[in-house]
Amino acid sequence: MATQSPPPPPPADENQGAEIIQPTNVDQQNAGDESVKPSSTTSVFVNSEPPREDQVQNAVKFLSHPKVKGSPVMYRRSFLEKKGLTKEEIDEAFRRVPDSAPTVQTGGVNQDGQLKSSSNIQQQPQQQTLQPGLPASTGVNTAPGILSRSRFHWSHALILVGVLTASGAGTVIIIKNSLLPRLKSWIRKVVLDEDDEQLKKTINKPTLAEETAQAAKSAAAAAADVAKASQEMLASKGEERKYFVEVVSLLDKQIQEMKLMTSAIRRLEGQEDLRVSQTSSKRLVANGKADYDMRSVRSLSPPASVEPSGPPHPKSYMEPWEIGQVQNTSSQVFQPQVNGEESYVKVHDTTQSNGDDPLPWWQKKNVRIREIDEVEYNVAPNGAASTQQPLQRVWVPPQPPPIAMAGAAEAIRRPKQAVQKEQVSDNQSVAQSSDISNGAHEIPIPSESEGAVEGTNVSSSEIQVVQEHSETKSEEQ
Amino acid sequence: MPVFKTPFNGYSVKFSPFYENRIAVATAQNFGILGNGRLHVLELSANPTLPITEIAAYDTADGIYDVTWSESHDSVVVAAVADGSVKLYDLALPPTSNPIRSFHEHTREVHSADYNPVRRDSFLSASWDDTVKLWTVDRPTSVRTFKEHAYCVYSAVWNPRHADVFASASGDCTLRIWDVREPGSTMILPAHDHEILSCDWNKYDECIIATASVDKSIKVWDVRSFRVPIAVLNGHGYAVRKVKFSPHVRNLMVSCSYDMTVCAWDFMVEDALVSRYDQHTEFAVGVDMSVLVEGLIASTGWDELVYVWQHGTDPRAS
Repeated sequence: MATQSPPPPPPADENQGAEIIQPTNVDQQNAGDESVKPSSTTSVFVNSEPPREDQVQNAVKFLSHPKVKGSPVMYRRSFLEKKGLTKEEIDEAFRRVPDSAPTVQTGGVNQDGQLKSSSNIQQQPQQQTLQPGLPASTGVNTAPGILSRSRFHWSHALILVGVLTASGAGTVIIIKNSLLPRLKSWIRKVVLDEDDEQLKKTINKPTLAEETAQAAKSAAAAAADVAKASQEMLASKGEERKYFVEVVSLLDKQIQEMKLMTSAIRRLEGQEDLRVSQTSSKRLVANGKADYDMRSVRSLSPPASVEPSGPPHPKSYMEPWEIGQVQNTSSQVFQPQVNGEESYVKVHDTTQSNGDDPLPWWQKKNVRIREIDEVEYNVAPNGAASTQQPLQRVWVPPQPPPIAMAGAAEAIRRPKQAVQKEQVSDNQSVAQSSDISNGAHEIPIPSESEGAVEGTNVSSSEIQVVQEHSETKSEEQ
Repeated sequence: MPVFKTPFNGYSVKFSPFYENRIAVATAQNFGILGNGRLHVLELSANPTLPITEIAAYDTADGIYDVTWSESHDSVVVAAVADGSVKLYDLALPPTSNPIRSFHEHTREVHSADYNPVRRDSFLSASWDDTVKLWTVDRPTSVRTFKEHAYCVYSAVWNPRHADVFASASGDCTLRIWDVREPGSTMILPAHDHEILSCDWNKYDECIIATASVDKSIKVWDVRSFRVPIAVLNGHGYAVRKVKFSPHVRNLMVSCSYDMTVCAWDFMVEDALVSRYDQHTEFAVGVDMSVLVEGLIASTGWDELVYVWQHGTDPRAS
């Protein structure tokens, strides 16, 4: 069948001659074959056009590129073939570029071709020597060539991966160590420069500064006025405070006077008691002092109780009429004491008897007991009981303070109204929300809605919700 | 129109040049990625309503990517196997003696096989190891190895008029025309910008060749003026897997594509698409037109179905 082909197509200048040569060769070979082919048909499947010089020159430039020199020969050939170069053109280009491998027609033997090209041996004898070994060598040489290529690819890939990771790590380190601090310092510089520029701007623009100064002055004047007004307010308050302090001092003086009076009354009472209970003076010597002390305590207690109860309570907001009341009470206290100790004692006794049952019972006991012993036990209850009666008799609930500032009062009243309104609105909103919740959820969960309702602390709405819940439940059922 | 269901995914279908009702189908398990393969020889019945019957089936260890009938023996088929071997089967012999030949020289999958219709004594095998090998039945080793492509060779097709000329379509986006008498390729056509999956010669004009590419187009070239294609046929939605010229109509060709359709084209007409058949529900990867019966088309796909129908009719019609 197909024997070894005739000598390869000669170089470009002899291409036209090849057409003539080939048919003759074909005729010679096909003499014994079945079909004798016309010479024209074989040339149909051959590139009849002469090699294009521009294409060859482009190919030469391509092959002369240093990157191309590093690529395998097969890639260069296939690239040129894809670009539409004919074989002759490619061969011519390879011929012109001395370093390229002259493996023209086999296209597979890389290493042998490169070695031979470096030695600059003529290509025709190379091709001729290569040809006989073509069928046998191609199969052998291509396999290691492919394998070597594949191995290179693997190792190349590994090296690439390693280089990429190392470069990435290196860049990160570099950025962290050098670039970031530089960035920060640069930013600081920029900020400082901006501040300086701002200062310069303020200095360099007097008109703006003057305007701003004027504005500032006016603002300062306004502020000064406001300060004055506030000071006046404070002064007025201070004067009021002074009034309060004066009142307090007056009250203190009165307290001292009252104390003196009470002490005098005690002395007087003590003398009377001594006259009444002379019989039991001995026994009551120890106790008398105690009684005296007790009575004094007892007697002291009402005025004393009045005293601390009276002044301490209204002390914070005592007014002239209160002072008068206190004075009246004190005078009331004083008067019976002054007028008649006996009557006071009687009144005291009657008041004691007229008091509550337990109190007189207490006091009665205490009266008896105080003669015997147990002064200590009776001091407190007596004091308490005694204090209560005069308290009941004498203590007046303090009046609410008058309105110092009408505006404040209104302000206080408004939030109350607002609060009331809020409460009303809360009621309404809760009712609405409960309606909505009940509308949306056909199966209302009573615990949740009631909890929500409880949060608003409106009992009326709770009742409404509960009623609605019951209604919905009844409807569902 | 009869339909045959293969157990494995179909890869190629070829009409027998001797018997008008005989078809060979190459199938591979698991879409040809991994697993066994099976070669079916089917017989169409004269009555189109009757189903297709299977005459013989041969199992292989790896998927079969292509099948071709011998031009010299009416019972010999050549199978291109994915394990790199080329196997010959004789239907006349009992299954125990099959395959009669097994040529294992390719280092990668053999994607295509084509028998020389003129000389009828040799066949080509195109492989993913970038080579095309020339074989004869009697020789145990290949006669020639053509290694110029830079990537997988998907198809090698003999010229129907010239005994020594063949074309090879490769994944390096070039179509090469070879002469077995020449040491290397005689023409290099940078036909597409993407991989060329198939090529076929026109049966009536020996200089016209069609290429089918991943770029969804079919280009028709005249080798005498190979810089510019005669026609560019667009219409497929995905890569065109196979193209075949009709042996009966000069300008008619059929093509199958990954868009699951089989299309018929007339490249001399402005609106080239003649008809479209969408019977497949998976990639349509194999198509053939019968030499003995005018207008008879067979197709197979990854949906494990083989359709045989007359051009112009509905393949699914029963």
